[in-house]
Amino acid sequence: MSRTIHIDPITRLEGHGKIDIFLNDAGDVDRAYFQVPELRGFEKFAEGRACEDMPQITSRICGVCPMAHHMAAAKALDDLYKVDPPAPAKKLRELIYNIFTVEDHALHFYFLGGPDFVVGPGAPKAERNILGVIGKVGLEVGKQVIAARKELRELINRMCGKVIHPVFGLPGGVSKPMKKEEQQLFIDAADRAVEFGKFSLKVFDDIVLANSQYVDWIVSDTYTHKTYYMGLVDENNKVNFYDGKLRVVKPDGSEYVKFNPGDYLDHVAEHVEPWSYIKFCYLKNVGWKGFEDGEQSGVYSVAPLARLNASTGMATPLAQEAYEKMFATLGGKPVHHTLANHWARLVELLYAAERMKELANDPEIADPNVRAIPKNKPAEGVGVVEAPRGTLFHHYKTDDRGVMTHANLIVATQNNAARIALSVDKAAKGLIKKGEVNDALLNMVEMAFRAYDPCHGCATHALPGQMPLVVRLHDSGMNVVSEVKRN
Amino acid sequence: MKTLILGLGNDFIADDGAGVEAARLLEGELRGLDDVEVMECALSGAALLDILIDYDRVILIDAVKTGQVKPGTISELWLEDLGEVIAPSPHYAGLPELLALARQLELNFPREFVIFAVETEDPYTIGGAMTEPVRAALPEVVSVVLKRLALWRTAQPCAV
Repeated sequence: MSRTIHIDPITRLEGHGKIDIFLNDAGDVDRAYFQVPELRGFEKFAEGRACEDMPQITSRICGVCPMAHHMAAAKALDDLYKVDPPAPAKKLRELIYNIFTVEDHALHFYFLGGPDFVVGPGAPKAERNILGVIGKVGLEVGKQVIAARKELRELINRMCGKVIHPVFGLPGGVSKPMKKEEQQLFIDAADRAVEFGKFSLKVFDDIVLANSQYVDWIVSDTYTHKTYYMGLVDENNKVNFYDGKLRVVKPDGSEYVKFNPGDYLDHVAEHVEPWSYIKFCYLKNVGWKGFEDGEQSGVYSVAPLARLNASTGMATPLAQEAYEKMFATLGGKPVHHTLANHWARLVELLYAAERMKELANDPEIADPNVRAIPKNKPAEGVGVVEAPRGTLFHHYKTDDRGVMTHANLIVATQNNAARIALSVDKAAKGLIKKGEVNDALLNMVEMAFRAYDPCHGCATHALPGQMPLVVRLHDSGMNVVSEVKRN
Repeated sequence: MKTLILGLGNDFIADDGAGVEAARLLEGELRGLDDVEVMECALSGAALLDILIDYDRVILIDAVKTGQVKPGTISELWLEDLGEVIAPSPHYAGLPELLALARQLELNFPREFVIFAVETEDPYTIGGAMTEPVRAALPEVVSVVLKRLALWRTAQPCAV
């Protein structure tokens, strides 16, 4: 009798981040699917609204990374009005964006990656959480993580109002300049952020790299796919979160294409599957060949590891050292091991902190010239940033009064969706044999998608954490034959 | 003794805005009280910790979909009753986990914490209207929050 296994966090939104595993009669995995629900109606909701409202509206559709939407929207408005913000405004935006990235990457590493790597995937599930991480790294470190995040969020609030509803990016610049007397606060915080970044890489060194079993997991075939990688790069092909061109490398690491974000529709297409709401992005000119890796398949990946693969290095010295060490340790570029995303994230955290330091010390950062007034009639604009979870596209069309007629958003998880599906399927097939399913195995299947930090946070709030994970077993007729609560 | 009333959710997404709408109604009722702060917020998971720290008491209003009760039903939950810490992702990091974390790190987490959860019918449609049963429940939400607040404010300050 064939069976279906669901790994289903029962959150306030039913079906949220669900994994369905179909077993064949031998108890081996026939196929595994990863599903996220889609919030409906965004395009329709945007139509008829003033385009200037988009940075506020879009920042409110996601409770996890409002700043990424806010910034992509502001950049889409620049493009819509064909207005170029003055240099101080661009620097301020990039400064705030890097502060946000430090804070978000820290949250991810300690809260999410930490349970898998600092505590360990085989550890009892009661310890696989932030408390277990703190148990391992020490109370002082825990306090430091919380304090660092608090300081960074306060800096963002200072410039943007509340992080939750940022009022900052406007077409042609930002809403207010940094005061001269505030600059020192940013400089001091940046110094602490750089130390925090160095320290976090050391934690990774001491706890993860020193444990050969963890390293074996990272490089194991179960978590490896040879796909294309995409990320924003500056004029020297170094990683940049705020601006640049999109560079795509082939599975062998050579450049496949580099394009202006505004031309994304020439390069990215979406594939629809009957079993999922999500549209699977792929490289249009390679083509959709199914859920396959390799150069013949248009499946690509975004997020920290993809960004490091798609670039030629980091634009700051300490992050560059960390970048070189990562690739040297994992066998050169590109790295195809999904779990290396956790390491790549820490390399990026250090870069974001160093970039924060450069910008905070820039004499122009407190210049009052932060706005160019739009003079052109709006028509169409595209804004792209690297969200912590990967490339984020905002594409708007308006009438000549600036009223929205069309909106298209591609979020990081959509860019990654095909590769996440590949990862979950491969991990399930590699780990579940002859019907043997236990908590540690299911956790290791979940690890395959957690490394991407897939963002379906648009509607998760406070309560889900209390909810158990549930594994449901179905027979071939889809009847529930047993249900195991994982708490 | 500082109390936070926090409406959680997104008023762009149909019934998901129940907590936010309730907070707005309460803000009108409670203007002028300097020991009570009313806030609305769309954040989730671990990021909530930054907001909750340094309040003594919290009343949280959130939209939920359990599918086990009728839309518009209000459930009262106390944080200490929510059960053990489980968080497969920081997006899902829940209040029990934040409580445990705050205790472990000796942070100043609220000592009393009640949640009023409103069962939703449609928490999915961006730009969708709030459904009738949920809208109809809002006055009751306001009323139970005000009652709880009155009990707290007339009672002795909670033990320090």
